[in-house]
Amino acid sequence: MNPLTPSKNDGLVQGLSRLPDPGSPPRNLWADARTRFFRNKAAVISLVVLSTIILACAIGPLLLPHAFDTADWDAMSLGPSFKNAHFWGTDEAGRDLLVRCLVGGRISLMVGLMATFASVTVGIAWGAVAGFVGGKVDAFMMRIVDMMYAIPYLLIAILLVTILGREFYLVVITITVFSWMDMARIVRGQTLSLRSREYVEAAHSIGVPIHRIITTHIVPNLLGVVVIYTTVTVPGVILTESVLSFLGLGIQEPMTSWGVLIEDGTKVMEVSPWILLFPAAMLSITLYCFNFIGDGMRDALDPKDR
Amino acid sequence: MWSFTIRRVLATLPTLLAVISLCYFLLHATPGGPFDSERQVSAAVLANLQAKYHLDLPLWQQYLLYLQGLLSGDLGASFRYADWSVNDLVAKALPVSLAIGGTAMLLSIFIGVTVGIVAALRQNSVVDHTVMLLGNIGSAFPSFVIGPVLIMVFAISLGWLPAGGWNNFAIQFMVLPVALLTFINVSTIGRVMRGSLIEVMHSNFIRTARAKGLPERIVVLRHALKPALLPVVSTLGPLTISSITSALVTETVFSLPGLGKLIVNGAGNRDYTLVLGLVVLVTVLAVTMNLLVDLAYALLDPKIRY
Amino acid sequence: MQLRFQLTAIAALTLSLAAPSLAAVIPAGTQLHATQTIIRNNGSEPETLDPAVAESVGANNITRDLFEGLTANDSDGKLVPGVAESWKQTNATTWVFKLRPNAKWSNGDPVTAEDFLFGIRRFVDPKTASTYAATFGSFLLNGKDIVAGKKPSSAIGVKVIDKLTLEVQTAFPVTFLPNLMVNNNLGPVHKASLEKNGKDWTKPGKLVSNGAYVLKDWQVNNRVVIEKNPQYWDAANVQLTKVTYLPIEDGYADVKLYESGENEWVYQLPPGTYEKYKVQYPKEIRNAPMLGLRYYSYQVQNPAFKDVRVRKALSMVLDRDILSQRVTADGQAPAYSVMVQGVDGADVTPYEWATWPMDKKVAEAKKLLLEAGVKPGSKFVFSYNTSEYHKKMAIFAASEWKSKLGLNIETESMEFKVLLKKRHDGDFQMARNGWISDYNDATSFLALIRCDSDQNNNFNCNRAAEDLINQGTQSSDPAKRRALLTQASKMIMDDYPIIPLVQYSLPRLVKAYVGGYSLQNSQDRFRSKDLFIIKH
Repeated sequence: MNPLTPSKNDGLVQGLSRLPDPGSPPRNLWADARTRFFRNKAAVISLVVLSTIILACAIGPLLLPHAFDTADWDAMSLGPSFKNAHFWGTDEAGRDLLVRCLVGGRISLMVGLMATFASVTVGIAWGAVAGFVGGKVDAFMMRIVDMMYAIPYLLIAILLVTILGREFYLVVITITVFSWMDMARIVRGQTLSLRSREYVEAAHSIGVPIHRIITTHIVPNLLGVVVIYTTVTVPGVILTESVLSFLGLGIQEPMTSWGVLIEDGTKVMEVSPWILLFPAAMLSITLYCFNFIGDGMRDALDPKDR
Repeated sequence: MWSFTIRRVLATLPTLLAVISLCYFLLHATPGGPFDSERQVSAAVLANLQAKYHLDLPLWQQYLLYLQGLLSGDLGASFRYADWSVNDLVAKALPVSLAIGGTAMLLSIFIGVTVGIVAALRQNSVVDHTVMLLGNIGSAFPSFVIGPVLIMVFAISLGWLPAGGWNNFAIQFMVLPVALLTFINVSTIGRVMRGSLIEVMHSNFIRTARAKGLPERIVVLRHALKPALLPVVSTLGPLTISSITSALVTETVFSLPGLGKLIVNGAGNRDYTLVLGLVVLVTVLAVTMNLLVDLAYALLDPKIRY
Repeated sequence: MQLRFQLTAIAALTLSLAAPSLAAVIPAGTQLHATQTIIRNNGSEPETLDPAVAESVGANNITRDLFEGLTANDSDGKLVPGVAESWKQTNATTWVFKLRPNAKWSNGDPVTAEDFLFGIRRFVDPKTASTYAATFGSFLLNGKDIVAGKKPSSAIGVKVIDKLTLEVQTAFPVTFLPNLMVNNNLGPVHKASLEKNGKDWTKPGKLVSNGAYVLKDWQVNNRVVIEKNPQYWDAANVQLTKVTYLPIEDGYADVKLYESGENEWVYQLPPGTYEKYKVQYPKEIRNAPMLGLRYYSYQVQNPAFKDVRVRKALSMVLDRDILSQRVTADGQAPAYSVMVQGVDGADVTPYEWATWPMDKKVAEAKKLLLEAGVKPGSKFVFSYNTSEYHKKMAIFAASEWKSKLGLNIETESMEFKVLLKKRHDGDFQMARNGWISDYNDATSFLALIRCDSDQNNNFNCNRAAEDLINQGTQSSDPAKRRALLTQASKMIMDDYPIIPLVQYSLPRLVKAYVGGYSLQNSQDRFRSKDLFIIKH
């Protein structure tokens, strides 16, 4: 065989033939990702289900006959039925359970998404800087993370609430304060590992500025782990919110959240199981959806998954 | 490696001091004191109580007294558990939390990693989705629901295990609490393992190993696993710490005399010395765990150097 | 005067000699189980086992078994001799107690009057810092001053006449002094072992006790185990050989342990479960009214509630029947007065509108609000501490005021200590409150609403009524005292400083084979020596 003649099995030729045609527009990472995402059935189903739940929580209460906070002492702990339009039954104070689940969902979802967004942002920023800069700065920043782990969150929560009040955004802040550390640790670990990879060393050696390296090379490669951990954070945040409510530091009565509804339901699960089942089902379905969507996004964004 | 370890240990001391100081002043700033009770005490008795515990001294003086005691290993006297010193309380509660949390972590690592590997190797198949569905029970249902359900099934209906309590490390009291914590931790470990392994399986060196003709088992276990474990190892630090020190729901649901219960009771009762003593313990544990995790990073990824 | 005292003295003497001081009263024909042990839930981890400092119900349950005072309460809550076998009142403010010669400490030492003197002095000493020092100490001569630090503890009105005779002087006539001496705060302490062991004197193996039991094991947040004291003077009549106290606070966990066999005595059923368990365990359900009151405090100085008409209106429209039957649903009786059923020393004086039909009450309330200038839609804030029970009641109250009077009620739940501080500082409009009396006398409840009282969270003060109360407590005529206290309580309650809601009761599950559990014990103070296990 003539070594200078290109053949089909020549790896170099194959590689070259896969390069984008210099004249055509560059391949879009996000378009690729979207295609791959939609190939994941579980993720797609989850997306549909989650959207339905969000929609229901947003406009459902406007369409239903009962208010979420009207107590009816003649209708305490009724099972689901079609008369009285208590489709999911009532709770121990005679309030319609379906409406309360939807209204509670608004709170849980809003708190979950906002607190997750905030803590992920803080966590990524913190961890990427620490992992990339390394040395004393890394040590100092991680010591602060250690410090945060050591403080009992209950204390901070009580203090914050008592000083600032019990508004909704406060619950978000309180939860964020204790949820960013996991992300920071993970991101820092990944960054440490990525920092020493060949392409990073290459970029550094040809003089690419550090902040460009971080945003162009490190952050996209963190995406997989970050996405997973974000979808791990959302359930954690929603559950933290319910513990806070239980301690009297979260959403005040008569407003409610899934965490509060589930906690109330656990207490009466032997007598009135529906008071637990409906909110628990809504919460777990939502969280499963987040999980599958998260996994799907991770798979979709993996640059090596061809 | 050794100088790194020693440097870390030395760095612990300022961290410890910073955490203690922060918590100290936060505690005193939190509304409500240790001696506020339903039965209002007269001003005279309150003065006596405060004098007995040096609470009548200026804050900075109390702080110095506390630090002084700390240096000699004396964590002080508890307000809430008046007959016991904080040293006693922590010494008795720590083994319980270690036993439950530690056992749960070992099980979780084993099960979680297995679950993650199986799901990753069968990505997007029915096996993947089913395994992830089961594995994520712990993050889709709040612990204060899973716990009582476990009790209802195994302790009350079947009568195989006690509904709670503790008797000198007797196995039957450990089964359900360990099961609950394992459920919760497996979901995190499993998902991170899955995501991470999928990513690694698509890297070049894996392709090389396969091209070399190595059997799949060796490819996965000897080549892919190590780097894939990095993000998993990142999660182990915080998970272990929270399993040992913050297993409050588990300890409440199963009535276990562990650290989580002491922390929340201490905070709720404004038991300054008890909370600070626990903060010292948690900080030391956190720093130790993080050090071990960082050392594990170095073992797993030879390119990470300290 | 003289004659009356002589008669009282003779009566007291006769009473104490006639009453057989036995422990467990076992009905004839009952067969006892071979193992006489019990595991019971105590509701919380004891803060201490030092009888002078013990404050909580849980701690006192245990100290009641470990220690014995001059007098005691049997399982029906009736006064019986304790270490003292007899006592008499020698004048309006002096009592003499004669101790039994065979009372011993668990290490064999005899129990003497010196031990009581030491114990009581230590109790009122400001250095001991007991939270009950003022409550019980003020009954004794110079007690109030000692607690305030104005006099040394040796000035307390207690004297040792001889080894087995103790003289107690009160600050003013206290007809129920023997009842007060039941409390272990006023009981004996073994000086030698306290001095020898210092801070550790309450630990197992070191604690020397004079009661029916000794401390065997104490694991914090896990269990306290006590065993029969062979040196106890009445050991022959003590059936239970071992008692295990659990510290479970969560009612649901408590019941689960009961259902799985780890627990034989639930401390208190969680809210709303009474009816269910009544049906499920008919032979094990117990529910007895207690000397306690659930109520809401008004902050009488707060602009929102300065007008008595507003306070009256809100109190009137709460349907206490629905509250007790459906919301709390645990057999508690509605309360329309600060006094509860079964309390000694004053009559229960419910509001006259208590028996009106609800429509009439609502109409009247609306009228009152109109007169006071409070329009529908006005906002009021109600504060309570986080707990399932209080939450249910708060939801109910808020919905009543909203639906019947059109008011806008904001409920705020908070952590317990934060609520305490708010109540103490007066930083609230309406707050949830509750009280379980320390001794069976009207003054224990009057403390909630009288002037200058540490227990008054309402910031109200009616001087005229206060004078009546002072007159009453100084009087040695029981009938006159009763009349004055009743009149004063009615006077203050007509100012509406609080909203009385329901009388406490203790619904719980106790295994059917536990004998000696009486429903007459209105202070829920059981001695393990009065219990026994029936053959099962």
